[in-house]
Amino acid sequence: MTSLPMLPTIIVDMVGSVIIIVLSFLSLLYAYRLICRQPGNFLWGFLFYFCITLVCFSVSRAVGHLLKQILMISGNEVIWHGLAPYSGGFNTLLMISLAAVSVYYNKGLEAFRAMQKKALSLRHANEQLEVSAGKLQRLNANLEEIVERRTKKLSASEKKFRNFFVNSKDMVYFCDSVDSLTTMNNAGYKMLGYSMEDDPRLKLSDIFHNEGDVEKYFKTLIANGFVEDLEVEFVRADGTVIYVLLSATAVYDEEHNFIGCEGIAKDLTRVRTMMEQLASSEKMASVGQMAAGVAHEINTPLGVILGYAQLMMDDFTPESEEGESLIVIERQAKACRKIVADLLKFSRQSESARENILINEVMEDVLAVTEHSLNMDHIYAQRNLEKDLPSIVGDAEKLRQVFINFVNNAHHAMEKQGGGKLYLSCHYDKENEQIVATVRDTGHGIPEEVKAKIFDPFFTTKPVGKGTGLGLSVSYGIIKDHGGVIEVESPVKGEEGEVQGTAFHVKLPVLSKEAAPVIER
Amino acid sequence: MDCMNSSKKIRLIFPLFFLLVLTVFPVNAWAFQGHGAREGLYVHQLAHVFYAASMGYLFWGIRKSSFKSRGWLFLQAFCFFIILWNVVAFTGHSLASYVDSSFYLSENGYLSTRLPGPFTNVKLLVYFTKLDHLFSIPALLCLYLGMKGLYRSSLEEEEV
Repeated sequence: MTSLPMLPTIIVDMVGSVIIIVLSFLSLLYAYRLICRQPGNFLWGFLFYFCITLVCFSVSRAVGHLLKQILMISGNEVIWHGLAPYSGGFNTLLMISLAAVSVYYNKGLEAFRAMQKKALSLRHANEQLEVSAGKLQRLNANLEEIVERRTKKLSASEKKFRNFFVNSKDMVYFCDSVDSLTTMNNAGYKMLGYSMEDDPRLKLSDIFHNEGDVEKYFKTLIANGFVEDLEVEFVRADGTVIYVLLSATAVYDEEHNFIGCEGIAKDLTRVRTMMEQLASSEKMASVGQMAAGVAHEINTPLGVILGYAQLMMDDFTPESEEGESLIVIERQAKACRKIVADLLKFSRQSESARENILINEVMEDVLAVTEHSLNMDHIYAQRNLEKDLPSIVGDAEKLRQVFINFVNNAHHAMEKQGGGKLYLSCHYDKENEQIVATVRDTGHGIPEEVKAKIFDPFFTTKPVGKGTGLGLSVSYGIIKDHGGVIEVESPVKGEEGEVQGTAFHVKLPVLSKEAAPVIER
Repeated sequence: MDCMNSSKKIRLIFPLFFLLVLTVFPVNAWAFQGHGAREGLYVHQLAHVFYAASMGYLFWGIRKSSFKSRGWLFLQAFCFFIILWNVVAFTGHSLASYVDSSFYLSENGYLSTRLPGPFTNVKLLVYFTKLDHLFSIPALLCLYLGMKGLYRSSLEEEEV
């Protein structure tokens, strides 16, 4: 090939110019549509102006090229040479314009984004403001209702806690940091024997029986922030001591300084007494078992001694020295046998009958036997026997023995002081379905320290030879055998306060009519 | 009063006359400087450089903006092709000094113009630069597709 035709370049130039004009206008069309859709968008604005400049440039250049080719083809080369500088000048100008527009893209976009960010934050702030305004408006509109509702809730809550405080059967108290009781519920005052109306200014150290307990209480409270199940003794207004279980929590101010405590105390005196009674019952049961064993072992040799003594008495006259010795042996052996029999009764090893009994009859029988002897010592019996009491099931003879024991003890307690009154009463406790028979005297009473031992076998306060110390323990065994209990009260609590003397309350269960047993003897 | 009016008229006419003289005989005016033909070429070449640089800047700007849609990718392609086109055009203009009446052979009119051998690099390069539309058309096509893509994305965004 010696030469290259320039025709392809001419064709490309002409066709390309037309295509460029078409494409640049189409681009402008879409840029226009974009700016119409979102007039506030910087990017679309930028592209729109860019496309306008590009269209100008494309038209200028393409038209120039087309004109050149047409003029050259038509042989008007001279005309083109005259127009060429203008075409080139326009093209230069528009290229610079295009470049100038493009340069604005970055900075413009940054400014647009910053504005958008600002606008977004403003919109958020506006939205929040609107929400807050809405809330405020609603709050304003319902303020009265809300306040009323809250007040009601608060009042209900306050009432609930006040009821708990007031109606609690346990002591609820608040105490300041210097151990003064600032507030205490009625149950607390009642437990301590004070009247709420008197408004006694009490301190914890006043009501704690042991000084060491107060110290221990505050030490634990400050160290742990609470006291849990502390077993202490409180002193009541009348000086008596009660046994309580204490739980308390420390109260702090905003700077976490200890400013007092709030606590609950439960009176466990009754529970403690019951526990002691239970322990005593167990002790009695074990003693009873031992006594039964011993009695059985002694009974046989005792029978042999008594039998041989009686046989030998046939060989000697009672006036002889041997006869007199044998009489003593027989008498002492019989005394021993009675003790053994009593021991067996205490341990419930002896046989007993089961029949329907009216307790009032038993009491009358006892008084019939003992009243004359009582009157001789200026002791006068007063009966308070409820009529139409339900019958109980048991051994009437043994029950008589029990009440004779109580009457004898009362007699013994009152004869030293030259007389007194003996109250016998019977009533029906419907709630617990039991008969309560009480024997009360106006004697010297039972000292606190011996109260727990009175039912122990062989325990007696009488001089040697006057009593075996088995009376009450046998009574205890008999009542236990009947499914009942014996309660001792000394001094006796009455309607007019405590009265000197002792009262034995025997509580015997009443069987329902359907379950009434058949008499057996 | 008449003296005053004629003085004002003279003062108004003089500058107009001076302006007319300067306009009719510009070569004699000392304030003007003459420009040769090459100056226009240099300005045009500088405009190509400026245009290419601005397209590079726009390309970088779009990349920095992290716009990932199809439309923006086409716009980047547009920038790329325009830069190439500017290089080709710049080269073409630079080679103009080598082109004179003997460069082409035209016996039967303009359409039959040929580039005679032997084919030096300059000749081939001049021939190639005459085909600069091979770069400008893809550039404009990319711009068109880019604008269309952005418009469609805008429509889709609104639908969502």
